[in-house]
Amino acid sequence: MVKGYMVTSLQEALELRAREAVTPYAGGTDLMIDTNEHATYLFLNKIPELRNIVADKENIRIGAGCTYTDILESDIAPAILKEAVAQIAAPAIRNLGTVGGNICNGSPKADSALIFFATNAKLRLASSRGERIIPINEFYLGRKKTVLQADELLVEILMNRTGISNYYYKKVGARDALAISRVSFAAILNIEDEKIVSCRTAFGAVTDVIIRRADIDAMLIGKTVEEAKIIKAVYLSAYDQAIVPIKGRISAEYRKAVCMNLLRDFLEKNGI
Amino acid sequence: MINFILNGQEVASHAKVNDRLLDILRTEFRLTGVKCGCKEGECGACSVILNGRLVNSCLVAMGSIEGSTVMTIEGYCETERFTVLDKAYAAVSAVQCGFCIPGMMLASECILAKNPNPTDAEIREGISGNLCRCTGYNAIVEAIGIAAKEGQGLW
Repeated sequence: MVKGYMVTSLQEALELRAREAVTPYAGGTDLMIDTNEHATYLFLNKIPELRNIVADKENIRIGAGCTYTDILESDIAPAILKEAVAQIAAPAIRNLGTVGGNICNGSPKADSALIFFATNAKLRLASSRGERIIPINEFYLGRKKTVLQADELLVEILMNRTGISNYYYKKVGARDALAISRVSFAAILNIEDEKIVSCRTAFGAVTDVIIRRADIDAMLIGKTVEEAKIIKAVYLSAYDQAIVPIKGRISAEYRKAVCMNLLRDFLEKNGI
Repeated sequence: MINFILNGQEVASHAKVNDRLLDILRTEFRLTGVKCGCKEGECGACSVILNGRLVNSCLVAMGSIEGSTVMTIEGYCETERFTVLDKAYAAVSAVQCGFCIPGMMLASECILAKNPNPTDAEIREGISGNLCRCTGYNAIVEAIGIAAKEGQGLW
């Protein structure tokens, strides 16, 4: 007998998750491709708490159950996120797919997760035991592997409201609609009083987990654009060593070349 | 039992919660206008309108649609808007084999419902998830443009 649970509140969902081995079902667009006859789904799409997009003093808080269309129609979702989401699949899939599903599916090709890496977003995970907030780069352990516990659910994504407007985003796919990323790249640069105060880059679809190397980006912090130009070659060479793409349908060499071109283009667009 | 509204009627399905909406529409409800092309959300032949939004019915598990509203081409055929689109498609021969057309019609409806005067680019974006191997799309884009003009006030 195939079972499934249709719940209408987060509390109910968390109680079930604590009691039984269930597969959280948000938009279904990843799950239904590789259907599992024996899975017991916990349907999350009727839980209002997961569909909010709200702003507080510090953060824009995006409910994990928000569809890509919800984000595109939101007045407060950040431009960098909207730009990436608008390039995911096609309208019919954007009407179903959710950001929470995109993150929890654990794919390095997740186009919304890339943006959450580049913006240093945090994830709020809840269980009936309580909740914890962790940076997104601590969420992934490998391909399809995350730190989400068997009784936990991703509830919302917290994006800092400020410092994310000067961004660069490019998705490289085989065609416009319904393309899976061959390489995706998001970056943010902030300059205050002629000094770089933050530089954050993220590379998607390259290795098992989205690449985010704050240690390398730190090289540019505190520098003027002119000073950044001087160490540009060292910065690029650090990434040249750090990016070791895995082979897939697309060759590792191709992915590497595209990553480095996008990184260079991002720097040049900012005068570096 | 899974209860939902299908083409305006309250229905109760005996499907399993893990079944695809696509398969249940075709087998239990005999709505064969919903075509099965790829079963992975790539082709759009199985498009339906779920709670007012275009979706791929191959990517929807029955358990997720309890209490929802589903419209297939069979229900849409009864509307005045369909008549306008149907005429426009016929006027420029935007139909050849017909396999993609139920999904294409429902995508057309969703484009016009969102924006009664779409640009060509907006039309192309709106049908970007619906593959057609016959027409080359230009005729379909033209047909939707004609429907937008002819159907003034309907959308």
